[in-house]
Amino acid sequence: MKRRDFFKTAAVVGVATVGSSAFGSNVAMREPIDSRTPQKINFPEKRPMITHSNRPPLLEAPRSTFSQVITPNDEFFVRWHLPDIPTFIDTDKYAIRITGNVAKPYELTLKELKEDFEQIEVTAVVQCGGNSRSAFVPITGGVQWGSGAMGCAKWKGVRLKDVLKRAGMKEGSHWVNFNGMEKPAYDKTPDFVRELNLDELNEDVMIAYQMNDEDLPYLNGFPTRLIVPGYYSDSWVKMIKDIVVTKDHTPLFFMDQAYRIAANATHGETPDHLAKMTKPITRMNIKSFIGFPDEGAEVEFQSQLVVRGVAFDGGIGIEKVLISLDNGKTWKEAMLGIDYGRYAYRAFRYSFRPNEKGNLSIMAKAIDHLGQEQPLAKDVPWDRGGYMFNGIDIVTIKIV
Amino acid sequence: MKKLLLILAFCTAMFAQVTKAVEVPYISYEIKMGKGFDEVNANCLMCHSFGYITNQGPQSRAFWKGKVDKMITHFKAPIAKGDAEIIVNYLAKHYGNGK
Repeated sequence: MKRRDFFKTAAVVGVATVGSSAFGSNVAMREPIDSRTPQKINFPEKRPMITHSNRPPLLEAPRSTFSQVITPNDEFFVRWHLPDIPTFIDTDKYAIRITGNVAKPYELTLKELKEDFEQIEVTAVVQCGGNSRSAFVPITGGVQWGSGAMGCAKWKGVRLKDVLKRAGMKEGSHWVNFNGMEKPAYDKTPDFVRELNLDELNEDVMIAYQMNDEDLPYLNGFPTRLIVPGYYSDSWVKMIKDIVVTKDHTPLFFMDQAYRIAANATHGETPDHLAKMTKPITRMNIKSFIGFPDEGAEVEFQSQLVVRGVAFDGGIGIEKVLISLDNGKTWKEAMLGIDYGRYAYRAFRYSFRPNEKGNLSIMAKAIDHLGQEQPLAKDVPWDRGGYMFNGIDIVTIKIV
Repeated sequence: MKKLLLILAFCTAMFAQVTKAVEVPYISYEIKMGKGFDEVNANCLMCHSFGYITNQGPQSRAFWKGKVDKMITHFKAPIAKGDAEIIVNYLAKHYGNGK
């Protein structure tokens, strides 16, 4: 891997102005910033991506990635929390420790993982809870992601339930903690430990070692990663080192302080009236995103244009995707691609011939099997962490 | 021989990860110079790149103070009290929104 001595960050553009009141009560949600372009630099096993940080690595995929239903490994977004990620793992010695409130604590090697348990596959979307955070105004704390902190892959591994079963969970077990191998710079900094309630674990929660028929890429968690289909990626712990079963909730920074939203029906709040009660983000809401054409693309008058994109949710499943070419006045149904299961992207495409020159806005809106649909960006509830944005995507192109 | 090479190439592609030492590229994020930069350089860079600063967008002094406090309280960064104030001033000046 080449070293670069200097590097320019993409400028954060399009900062909207807010009201003059202190820290503004004027919530004015907007479309996320999806105009950034990949920097000319390669991280291990990655093609050039939008690089928010190198340490810890924060890599975002550009819009064009989402014209495909399966996200290639080398375009898959990257988000780590702590700076010291092992750069060498001896796969013969690597093992996951399963301990805590169990009768038979044990160490699980990669070989045992691949040979001793039923091997399963699931195609599932993983998305950062803060994906599209740049849509939030007033601007919230956290990485100002565009919409590329998400991806969909076919994961292969074993059921977490089977791995826990071998340890023999004792009576009174309610929680399970996951810790990866990455380390903070200071010993006292809290590790990135995530916790799930045992009630949340279904047959789909797995420990994966393969992604799209290859070993997990280093930056996506080699050699193993927790897969929690339908959930935001904060629960998808990478480079798993420890799994600990407990009776009681463990106080954890990354559960108790970070990745939380208002504990009300809309999970919304305002800067002036922050919700008193919060809860961890868990299941993803419905969302769609246009992968093609790109913002600002020039398309020839009356040529055949095929709009492509992906739609997904937390596991209910996509009923349809609608496209509007007249700023939301009328909507037409897009064609849906192959169904890879309820946790996967559903590709959509919509073909038409632009019959007027000038700017044209293309909007995409997904609707799930229960009839729930995406709101307009301006109607997405604001929250202090900038989580769970799922506004209708708009791409404006030029017909020439 | 060609076949063997192909197989070798394939294996490398499949198992290249972390079984050999991986090197993550170093990026020097462009950051504004000014009073307090030395303290920012000495304290912030230990745990994260300047991307974490430049990427936050323009923010209020209260926001930046909250961030520095969080680094000390929650992430246990050993930032001296005097340095913390200097860092907040630097961030509010160069990455502030005027509030």
